[in-house]
Amino acid sequence: MSPGDPISITGSILAVAVGCSAASLWLLLPRGEGGLREHMASRFGMLLGAVALALFVATGHRLGGLGDEAVFLVVSLVAVISSVATIVTRSPVYSAIWFALALTGVAGVLLVLGAQFLGVATIVVYAGAILVMFLFVLMLAQPTGMAPYDRVSNEPLLSAVAGAIMLGLLTLFIGRLSAGPAECCAVPSKAAALAAGGEVTLSAPSRPAIPADPLAADHVARLGGELFGRHLLAIEVAGVLLLVALIGSIAIVSRTSPEERLDLAARRADA
Amino acid sequence: MTPSALVLNGLIVGGMLFALGLVGILARRNLIVMFLSAELMLQGISVSLVSWSRHHGDWGGHVLVIFVLTVAACEAAIALVFVLQAFARTGRLDSAAWQALRESNLPRSVDHELPAVDAVTPIFPRLTPAGAAPEPDEDALLEREHV
Repeated sequence: MSPGDPISITGSILAVAVGCSAASLWLLLPRGEGGLREHMASRFGMLLGAVALALFVATGHRLGGLGDEAVFLVVSLVAVISSVATIVTRSPVYSAIWFALALTGVAGVLLVLGAQFLGVATIVVYAGAILVMFLFVLMLAQPTGMAPYDRVSNEPLLSAVAGAIMLGLLTLFIGRLSAGPAECCAVPSKAAALAAGGEVTLSAPSRPAIPADPLAADHVARLGGELFGRHLLAIEVAGVLLLVALIGSIAIVSRTSPEERLDLAARRADA
Repeated sequence: MTPSALVLNGLIVGGMLFALGLVGILARRNLIVMFLSAELMLQGISVSLVSWSRHHGDWGGHVLVIFVLTVAACEAAIALVFVLQAFARTGRLDSAAWQALRESNLPRSVDHELPAVDAVTPIFPRLTPAGAAPEPDEDALLEREHV
């Protein structure tokens, strides 16, 4: 591949973006420095993060219509920026709020991708989760000041580099997907098999495909049909899983310590 | 079949969310923030699954995301109970409070003395005082200012 190849240019831009995001995360993560130094580090980290995001946007794929592109850009930027804020904010209360904003961004991405039921379900399900998280934080947080374990991180540099390597590998392979059909994963089509004279044994079950219009009126009906048709057994297993988790959490939280049990037994013996 | 541009962008957003959740769960020490980071990774996976579902034009990804939501709910129940128990035992939401569980050949992580919290207090908007000053409320004096 020659250096002037467009794919190689995209690859080098992506490499710069991944490096910028690693440095930005390292600067933004709490490292226990106080005062002006931490302030400057977070400002510089935000700058580097903005550069990395701009580079990622520049290497993104054009969607065609300006409106589609703008909507996807806005919701994905909301999701990614609030995710960064979730993991770098010192106070867990603000972290939960940023996580709620990240969820709205994710729901927007799901809506753009045509998953209207999942987009709404994400918000509905996680609104309760965020509320519970708030209650936990308010119940358990330090009454005065910020806890020292919120102001330092475990190995911030290594963590940021690990995340950036993960991101780099993912973007690399996603970029290869767009470069052309992958030979390794190409599924021989039925027509090709028939043309070759072979016999098609695995006939795909005829199931309702996703309609091209993402806002089709019977989206939820089709999803429900799929869920309670092909995946009926899995639904039952999921129900059992929920029941087991419920019973397990109650059993763990209401378990008493051995001393308390002895105490209870002594009191019962007295009565 | 080459995936469409929307599918590829969705995959990249999903990968970003997953990587950010990974960084959070590796770096942060607060158990609740670690839990939020794990949820962030699940969100990234959901976005990727829906993208692939759009690419293949079937419902498999959507159904898997519904199961991911189910398992996330179970995980939340168990994890929050664990957080509660851990807090009841140590009085901290610190994952390093459980470092006695580490391998015997690993060094103990020691907390260094942290510099004082910077004196820059956040400025919250205040209403303009109007009317007579109210009587001080004893209950309000006992409330904590922030968490």
